[in-house]
Amino acid sequence: MNPRLKLLIFVITGLVVAFAPLPVPSIAPQARTFRIDARQYAYSPSELNVNPGDTVTIQLVSADVVHGLYVDGYDVSVEADPGQTTTLTFTADKPGSFRFRCNVTCGAVHPFMIGKLNVGSDNWLFRSIGLALLAVVGVIISVKQKA
Amino acid sequence: MNRSEFLSRIFVITGIILAIGAPLIFWTRTPLIHARMAENGGWNPDIIQAEVSQPLHLKLTSDDVMHGFAVGQMDMDAVDVEPGKVTDITLTFDKPGIYTFYCTRWCGLNHWRMRGTIEVSGSSSDPEPVSPPLYVSLNLNLDAPHDAPVVPRSMPSAISGQQLTTDLPFDQSTDYYRANSPYQAFTDLSNTARTESQRWDVVASIWQSNTTPESLANGKQLYAQNCAACHGETGAGDGVFADDLAQAGEASMQTMSGAENMMMQTPVDFTNPTQMLGASPALLQGKILRGGMGTGMPMWGSIFTEEQIWDLIAYIYSFQFEYQE
Amino acid sequence: MAKIELTRNPFIKSALKSRYPQLAVFIIMLVGYIFAILAGLIGTPVGSHNFSIVFVWIAWWAILILVAVPFFGRGWCAVCPIPLPGEWLQRGAVLSPPDKRPKWLNLRVPKMFRNIWLQNISFLLLALFSSVLLTTPNITGIVLAAMLFAAIGLSTVFERRAFCRYLCPVGGFIGLYSQTAPIELRIKDKQVCVTCEGKPCYNGSQTGYGCPWDVFPGGLTKNTYCGLCMECIRTCPHDNIAVNLRPFSADLAKPSTRMDEAFKAFIMLGSAMIYAGVLLGPWGMFKDAAYNVGSSAWFVYAIIFLAIIFVILPGFFTFGILNTKNILPLKQRFASLATALIPLGLMFWVAFSLSFVLTNASYILAALSDPLGLGWNLFGTANTAWQPMLTTILAPAQTLALVGGLIWSVRTAEKAANEVKVSSIPVIVYSFIVTSIMLWLLL
Repeated sequence: MNPRLKLLIFVITGLVVAFAPLPVPSIAPQARTFRIDARQYAYSPSELNVNPGDTVTIQLVSADVVHGLYVDGYDVSVEADPGQTTTLTFTADKPGSFRFRCNVTCGAVHPFMIGKLNVGSDNWLFRSIGLALLAVVGVIISVKQKA
Repeated sequence: MNRSEFLSRIFVITGIILAIGAPLIFWTRTPLIHARMAENGGWNPDIIQAEVSQPLHLKLTSDDVMHGFAVGQMDMDAVDVEPGKVTDITLTFDKPGIYTFYCTRWCGLNHWRMRGTIEVSGSSSDPEPVSPPLYVSLNLNLDAPHDAPVVPRSMPSAISGQQLTTDLPFDQSTDYYRANSPYQAFTDLSNTARTESQRWDVVASIWQSNTTPESLANGKQLYAQNCAACHGETGAGDGVFADDLAQAGEASMQTMSGAENMMMQTPVDFTNPTQMLGASPALLQGKILRGGMGTGMPMWGSIFTEEQIWDLIAYIYSFQFEYQE
Repeated sequence: MAKIELTRNPFIKSALKSRYPQLAVFIIMLVGYIFAILAGLIGTPVGSHNFSIVFVWIAWWAILILVAVPFFGRGWCAVCPIPLPGEWLQRGAVLSPPDKRPKWLNLRVPKMFRNIWLQNISFLLLALFSSVLLTTPNITGIVLAAMLFAAIGLSTVFERRAFCRYLCPVGGFIGLYSQTAPIELRIKDKQVCVTCEGKPCYNGSQTGYGCPWDVFPGGLTKNTYCGLCMECIRTCPHDNIAVNLRPFSADLAKPSTRMDEAFKAFIMLGSAMIYAGVLLGPWGMFKDAAYNVGSSAWFVYAIIFLAIIFVILPGFFTFGILNTKNILPLKQRFASLATALIPLGLMFWVAFSLSFVLTNASYILAALSDPLGLGWNLFGTANTAWQPMLTTILAPAQTLALVGGLIWSVRTAEKAANEVKVSSIPVIVYSFIVTSIMLWLLL
């Protein structure tokens, strides 16, 4: 087979793996509330799982100093002083895996105070691994061809 | 050595001297007040000198976490002292004396210990006489137990009590309210033709009549900012530091004697009617002013004004009584 | 794509040959470096607002791992200020080479240390303390000062740039990864070198010093140990040295069989994965263990760290290639096949760095205006709020980097396997597995 054609096939397969819309399981959106404890330098719980479309309410309880919670990708945030629980509510309309992190300097390791919000399944991770597999197969085939 | 070598050496040496000298010079010339968690040293410096009527310019910075700054019993807005950034503030004092400055954003278990003093010198017109707080003139023992022998079966309602406040054997004045515990007021009503729960409702109504919605709101904010971290957002003594305080109490068991002393380390539960209804406002004021003598309870005497403390006390009783909205 | 000789361009050639442009850059870098030390020692202890943390671990690191290393190989070494004071003392001059009588001891580095094991160890030392180093200004200040004084000290005892070649923790991996870069310094015609008298490129002459990196330019076939200092271009009397543009990872076509370099590849691969998990993951227990240096949790963390790097990763690799029967000894197969992990490791570091750089780049503007945390506002940007940048492209960029790195690694594996006449499949499977793990850790 013409190597150019092979390359085209691989590129198209790659684009499909990366961008083709997957069937979204239709789970009715719910309202979920999480109470997150924040202390130097971790959140508890540090991983949240919700479904796309859910209304997420996070009650931030700071257990030692003033902490914040900023959600990557959603660009929403909230801060809490110890003794004053604050609430952040937003709709998890973007699917995927997002880190949330502290946005009030709370000590030395503050930049690494991180948690994870999983909205639905982490499709981008699966796509990436799929792309990696495709890449490996592609290179092996093209090298075998040259030999 | 040729000219270009000579010039190059000049550039290099000048560059090095500037790189070392400039930061050093500016650093030594910038007087900063460093805020650190109490465990790491607190305020540094923690004694500031000032003069009456002379503006005092302060530069505050935090070396670790978010802090705040305010001066006790002075009408000013607290300012945040942010990590790595400098906050400028100017204070002017009308009267000489020793003022206490303190941290206003919770910064760990020992946040309340983060205090310093401003010594304001200067002549004063006449020294102000200071009257002793109420618990002193009433001869109250702040550390004696104050359990109410009888407690209401359900939370007394000030709204219901209001209907029944006629022909009381005592006045509802501030003096009475401050000097008596709710249980004492309940006892004083025993000769009236009311059921026990009705009597508690009356007490609740008396307590409410001695405060205003604004005071309660003010007390609520003071509570949230200063007390909730230990005493709990719902007053139940289960604040975020309650466990740490209990642990600190256990650690000091070697130096203290007896289990009752260990109990002192956990923050008081304001939702407990037995303890609370046996405490008069004067007793609570005393505890707030003086602090806990070895427990984690701070002394607020130099920080809050009298009005602030009465507002706070009024709010604390609202954990026991249902007030009208 | 063939080589393009950049030094054929007269402007480029004179810019590289002349000492003045280089000196200007050197002075700026040295001043900045010393300022970073001061900032670390006397500036605010809050890392995110201190010039030393922000400009070393965010700005400089970003430029290093995203631009300098992938595109310029040892380009950073060409402008690094660390060796300069020592070298100027050694030479007795800042610019010109008046006389070359050794001013100091000028000893040769003992044979036992003439490898990159010391650099492997120094990098690991920094890595084990990284949670503290990356976040605490005075520790960064002390480490920077220590490197500067170590370089000066070594220059007074040993010849040439002993610190750079044998001790610098950064130089260890820059050298390894420079093999993938599209820039190289090579001789033009080998015959010219054969008949050259005195080899001034190595021994020095009136116009320049002998190679400070202890490399014989006539024998340079790989970028690994050439620091792009341009000294040889100044000394070569036959104009036989050129700087070329070339295809990426040309050096990896000739896999190295050195164990120190092979283990460096594993050290970098492993530490990128561990950092991704510990620093960027949601597992607070690991961060506590990594930060509380000296505690028993930290000892456990350090042991696991070293086990991953020296036992688990190379162990699985060896296990995979055991069955590739061959006349060549296992050691040789191990080292040359490990070459495939070089481009993979580089892309692992690119993907990992993108995350914290884009998240925290906004600190650069604030630190520029108030480098010491004294309340200055030199450029008006002191109050720039923290705001992660380009967050929507981060995940795709990381995927691109990691999948790209995997492709690169597979191609390298094929070439290396071809050289030692074994199957490349075990290495490919290994690379795919670690890449998937890294994707999972980062995404």
